Amino acid sequence: MRNVKIRNWVIGAGTPVLLLAAWWFLSANSTDPFFPPLQTILVRFQELWLFEHFQSDVLLSLGNLFVGFAIAAVAGIGLGFATALLPPVRWMIDPLIHFLRGIPPVALVPIFISLIGFGTQMRVTSIALAALFPTMIATVDGIRSVSNDLMDVARVYRLSRKERVLNVLLPAAMPQIFSGLQVSLQVAFIVMIASEMLGSSQGIGAMTLLAQQSFMTADMWAGILLLGVIGFLVNILFSLLKRKVLSWYIGSRRMARAA
Amino acid sequence: MKASIRPYAFSALGIAGALVIWQVLATAKVAGNALPPATTVFSTLTSTLGTGTFWSALGATIGIALLALALAALAGVAIGLLVGSFESVRYATLAVLEFLKPVPPIVVLPLAVLVLGPTAEMSLFLVVFGCLLPIVMQTVDGVQGTDPVARDTARSYGMREGEILARVVLPSAMPYIGTAMRVAAPAALVVTVVAGLLGGGPGLGQSIYQAQAAGDYASLYALVIVLGVLGLLFQGATRLAERRVLHWHESYREVVP
Repeated sequence: MRNVKIRNWVIGAGTPVLLLAAWWFLSANSTDPFFPPLQTILVRFQELWLFEHFQSDVLLSLGNLFVGFAIAAVAGIGLGFATALLPPVRWMIDPLIHFLRGIPPVALVPIFISLIGFGTQMRVTSIALAALFPTMIATVDGIRSVSNDLMDVARVYRLSRKERVLNVLLPAAMPQIFSGLQVSLQVAFIVMIASEMLGSSQGIGAMTLLAQQSFMTADMWAGILLLGVIGFLVNILFSLLKRKVLSWYIGSRRMARAA
Repeated sequence: MKASIRPYAFSALGIAGALVIWQVLATAKVAGNALPPATTVFSTLTSTLGTGTFWSALGATIGIALLALALAALAGVAIGLLVGSFESVRYATLAVLEFLKPVPPIVVLPLAVLVLGPTAEMSLFLVVFGCLLPIVMQTVDGVQGTDPVARDTARSYGMREGEILARVVLPSAMPYIGTAMRVAAPAALVVTVVAGLLGGGPGLGQSIYQAQAAGDYASLYALVIVLGVLGLLFQGATRLAERRVLHWHESYREVVP
């Protein structure tokens, strides 16, 4: 049994290393214009992102991502609560929300460009609006699935409306809200890249696409690598946060399963 | 007013209100020419629906999305069965899959455009790239979730491994695959549009890019509305298909009181 575990560990850690090594050696003397040597890519990666364009482009992109996502999170949860708790509001905006959700988020970027221009404002607005819907819809679903027993208990204890919303509904809907937030974060990341690729000159996405259009292949690979790492890290960080905030929920689920 | 029609009345009110606000803002020229009035957009929409270029773009978008979805489903289920069936393969692929999972296809778009050019193949590649991993992951979960008793029963009835895979493991993984497909279908449409918009692949994404570049804002809005409707249709169709295909499974069976 122990041996199997060790073997699995070795396979799990070894394969990525093996793949990277294969990439390194197979591309070492590559003259293919599309697939430059990994060494060249890493050198360009270091030259570009550490730290010449770090502040002007990397931080700019990440800042837009963060601000846009934060706006979407707050507005999404707020609107979700408003729609779930006030039926007339829900009836009124439900069809609109569903229609807007059907539109691919990236397709909204050209509209924002025509309305606001190419600046940072446009990018943050695009990110915020596109990332709003997953959180909002998850919040509504989360509140609707709160058990009636829980609400009855809250009423029996004569909790005020504010207490019921903040101390009962919000925690009970939290797991679903966090699932929505995670989807929102992915959407925000996609729209961040798209908003930079459509006619902007700053940001990681813009630099990567520009490098491709001017056939600076190693620069393009460096951009793709950076975007991939950011996508991965942002997701990991969010998962850690989620695990921390929802530790009570994860614990209670484990108890329920063990019982 | 009866309670049963009240929601619909409010919905109609909401839609009408949004259209009126749009019309008023546009006629007041708050955003200059960039926000055309709703009436202009809808008349542009009607005239666009009469052109052949629109229908060929629509056909290209739907065709690419569906073809790529089918390819991703076939490859994804096959890879998922492989990864889920062998522990060593699962461990070998774990790190790679976990790294690639949160990486959206838009990240590799520059590479795809560089190698394949602004073609339908490029769009196909990106959509398959985007849809494959979720399907693989869900299939692996489905294989893992197979009831071991059912598996052992099949084995004691003398079924061969291939037969067990086809008759026991695959059916029990079906709901997982169904969930993955429901998520993947709208995503396929989105990625097709992105590939057209940013990479120049054929379809509605390209039309949107051209409308924006030409400053033809009425067409831009009309096309986005078409995409919204198309997105809803895709979501509805996949939900319907999922229920049709999986009607036999416990989690989809309708409760008879």
